[in-house]
Amino acid sequence: MSQTQYIPTIGIECHVQLKTRTKLFSGANNDARDAKPNTMVSPICFGLPGTLPVLNREAVQLAIRAGLALNAEIAENSYFERKHYFYPDLPKGYQITQLAHPTIGAGSVTIHLEDGSDKVVRIHHAHIEEDAGKLTHPNGVDYSLVDLNRAGTPLIEIVSEPDMHSASEAKAYAQEIYLLMTYVDVTYGDLYHGNIRFDVNVSVAPIGAPLGTRTETKNLNSFKAVERAVDFEINRQVKLLDKNERVVQETRGWNEDRQATFSQRSKEDAHDYRYFPDADIPPLKIERSEVEAVAKVMPKLPNQYRQEFTAMGLDGSVITALLGVKSNAEIVAEIYTIAGKETASRVAHWLSSVLGSAEGHTDISSIGTARLVELSGMVDTAELSSTAAKDVLISMLSSPESPRHIAEQKNLLQVSDENAIAAIVEKVLADPANAKAIADIKAGNDKVIGYLIGLIMKESKGKANPGLAQKLIRKRIS
Amino acid sequence: MSSISIEDVKKLAKLSALTISDTEADALRNQLDEILGFVSKLSEVNTLGIEPTYQVTGLSNVMREDEVVDYGLDRDALLRNTPNQQDGQIKVKRVIE
Repeated sequence: MSQTQYIPTIGIECHVQLKTRTKLFSGANNDARDAKPNTMVSPICFGLPGTLPVLNREAVQLAIRAGLALNAEIAENSYFERKHYFYPDLPKGYQITQLAHPTIGAGSVTIHLEDGSDKVVRIHHAHIEEDAGKLTHPNGVDYSLVDLNRAGTPLIEIVSEPDMHSASEAKAYAQEIYLLMTYVDVTYGDLYHGNIRFDVNVSVAPIGAPLGTRTETKNLNSFKAVERAVDFEINRQVKLLDKNERVVQETRGWNEDRQATFSQRSKEDAHDYRYFPDADIPPLKIERSEVEAVAKVMPKLPNQYRQEFTAMGLDGSVITALLGVKSNAEIVAEIYTIAGKETASRVAHWLSSVLGSAEGHTDISSIGTARLVELSGMVDTAELSSTAAKDVLISMLSSPESPRHIAEQKNLLQVSDENAIAAIVEKVLADPANAKAIADIKAGNDKVIGYLIGLIMKESKGKANPGLAQKLIRKRIS
Repeated sequence: MSSISIEDVKKLAKLSALTISDTEADALRNQLDEILGFVSKLSEVNTLGIEPTYQVTGLSNVMREDEVVDYGLDRDALLRNTPNQQDGQIKVKRVIE
């Protein structure tokens, strides 16, 4: 433990790939997920002389939507600029981006911490830019390979203010940005494939002192990596300061296997990008009316679902699990509207506990609300026990059949036929081994009735309606 | 009096990924000096309260619809312009250790 008390300060830059059909400045196909290298390219992606990049209208629409989700001002006038650097993944020698006049201005995001509290993180701005190509470095050779499928993919880079002060706040921010961007449907949001990538700027300073020297750890593509990289940097920097050493301002990478950041020697003069306005891309003017039109068709944001689910009385952990998959949140909200609180709450618990934990979300949109409501109804009418209902639920993931059909096939329907249960009750009560239990109940020890119900359930292979069984026992021994 | 040094010229050359000889650096220094002198004339104009000019075309909102275009060029055609290639990718000098 360190002698001095330090306060960490964290700002995050987040790159979000927009889900357009084509690239930001060319008509080349933007869906390169399963494509062979350099097949989703055009002369513009290759930066060939004489080509003219032209802005994709849909990318601007998505950027407006993302901006509104960030609670940000949309600039009436924005410009594209050239950022110059030489690297093999950037064929033109410059990236088309925005600097002085980005399309998305200052905004804010409310993040939700594990202790249940909320915090507002300010957004400095977000700008539209093109992604670079992908480099691979085969082992044991002296060359690298360049695939330009990703070159020119539209991105927005969301730049936060340095408003976070712990690894858990950084993680909560990353999660909320992911939720916002996927809920407003501007990105496929596939973290594994780098659709959303985070760069974390971390510095530490003694409490009350001016901000310390920061490092930037780039290209984190999971919430856990964001949390751990920030944690690692805070500890590393505190140790340096405690030894009276200095933190070097630099770019660092994250080694997932070693769970550690490492210095990426940055090139000298790397920060002299010589920005200037891109003469190929005329200014972007966005009318107020256009922003209002997008605002009118904005989908529900995660916070609105959060409020609805809280009002339904759901636990924080259930809400977090539900929100993790947009379609699950939509399903519960829809069931709440059509079938009421009880049913919605039961389905919410199924979705969060049976089908997925916070770590492994399962998208259950294939089941459909109608079948979920029907299944819940079968629990209400005691046709299915809650254990059996979970069994049916899992089967419905891979079967289009109705819950009733599945329950019949699996022989799970509860027996509510009074005569059938009465016969089992008769058999259990007639067993001399249970004479003492009966005597105990008669003597006023009512808890023993649970033991008898257990025997009846066992005898019926779990299918007897326990409520009915209890009623019949009481009738029989009173 | 030169406002630009040989070091400035060399830095610019490096940023532009150009290899230049000392003789060329000297010649470029003079030329850049003249250019800067010419451009500095503009500083004599009072531009207080005037919006910076980002574009001189008068155009705005030049956009295209989000539809895939067939450029009629396949990978091989595009890769033919690159000095080195391998397995459908552009082969470059290794950029990390």
